[in-house]
Amino acid sequence: MPHPDTPLSEEDLLAYHHDALDARDRASMAARIATDPAAQELLALWTRQDAALATLYPPEEATALPDRLNAALAPPRPPAAVPRRTPRLALFALGALGGWGAHGLFAPRPAETDLALAALKAYDTYVVEVVHPVEVPASQRDHLENWISKRVGSRLVPPDLSASGFALMGGRVLPAADGTAGLFMYENAEGARLTLYVAPQQDTADSAFRYAGEGATQGLYWQEGRLGYAMVGQMSRDSLRALAKAAYDQML
Amino acid sequence: MRELDQIAALTPALRRYARALMRGDRDAGDDLVQDCLERAVAALPHRRRDASLTAWVFRILINRHRDLMRQAARPGHLVPVEALRPEPAQPPGQEHHMALRETEVAIARLPEDQRRALLLVALDGASIDDAAAALDIPRGTLLSRLARARASLRSMTGRAGGDTAAPRPNGRP
Repeated sequence: MPHPDTPLSEEDLLAYHHDALDARDRASMAARIATDPAAQELLALWTRQDAALATLYPPEEATALPDRLNAALAPPRPPAAVPRRTPRLALFALGALGGWGAHGLFAPRPAETDLALAALKAYDTYVVEVVHPVEVPASQRDHLENWISKRVGSRLVPPDLSASGFALMGGRVLPAADGTAGLFMYENAEGARLTLYVAPQQDTADSAFRYAGEGATQGLYWQEGRLGYAMVGQMSRDSLRALAKAAYDQML
Repeated sequence: MRELDQIAALTPALRRYARALMRGDRDAGDDLVQDCLERAVAALPHRRRDASLTAWVFRILINRHRDLMRQAARPGHLVPVEALRPEPAQPPGQEHHMALRETEVAIARLPEDQRRALLLVALDGASIDDAAAALDIPRGTLLSRLARARASLRSMTGRAGGDTAAPRPNGRP
């Protein structure tokens, strides 16, 4: 316990907040907090933080364990008898292991993972730019379209997302695994930015929308013919999906 | 209660913690929990009895999470949109929702060690001693890590002034 003349530290208050003091220390802390408005405010803030966390991540039902977790809890058996996890963990490892023969319904090919990661990286790199977010601004629309189309090797017209409040800022080209990628950037009235990354792919394919996310940044990926697309932004999945759908329809 | 049953009883808490660690992705969280349970069940006969069973199981999960974060410096999770769980209903423009969303983003931006520590005590309700054992750090380190995590959360959620206390020096005696 701190000496009565020493201000209460956050560590002392945290031990109090998380009920880690014995009865005597707890009582003397409570007495000191009662005369310390700053400490009271801090404790109230922490209680609000705890409540926000509990709301964000509510408790899991004890009764509804997925089969694979019940199987994992069974007494030890020969390893082969334990059902493997869904193929999704393989995706998780793709970036690290590379070229892991992906199979299963949910597993994208490594090229798709590469494209989604490149798109997230491009977003992270350029969205924070204040002075040079784009190489060619939307005011030079014809030049922008012609230049990016020529470099990517396919006719590209940036979709009109103004119905969702996003205006085209411009674009740039970037190196990509199989050639050159184009990046279009959009911004809405609140300053939220959105990028559409388009890169040539080695294989021709049409795919469903796939989701890629890292932290607060969300991305939707799809492939149409020999071009892969990824729309990336910091917004809810539903909003992003509506925007990606609009872009997909316009770019068909 | 047999130890295996005790571990089974911990599973809902492990899932909740793992889901929060994986930024709300329940399937990724369950992958982590499955790994943790398989390891715990296999290692149970060899367990050293120097920490509580709860702290031991959480420690396995945390170590697995550390490996995963190292392995996938940029977690490349790609799933078909159809496989996503619907997001919770979000009435737009409500300040309560904005505050939650801010907290969610702030939590995701905390350094991993702070995030693991804060979620363990704030979400799981682990005692300070159990959490320190699970994280394999001294109690004092845990307390200062928690203080940093909560201060970052406070500054990132834009609630640094006004209704909250001003930052104060850590006046240890």
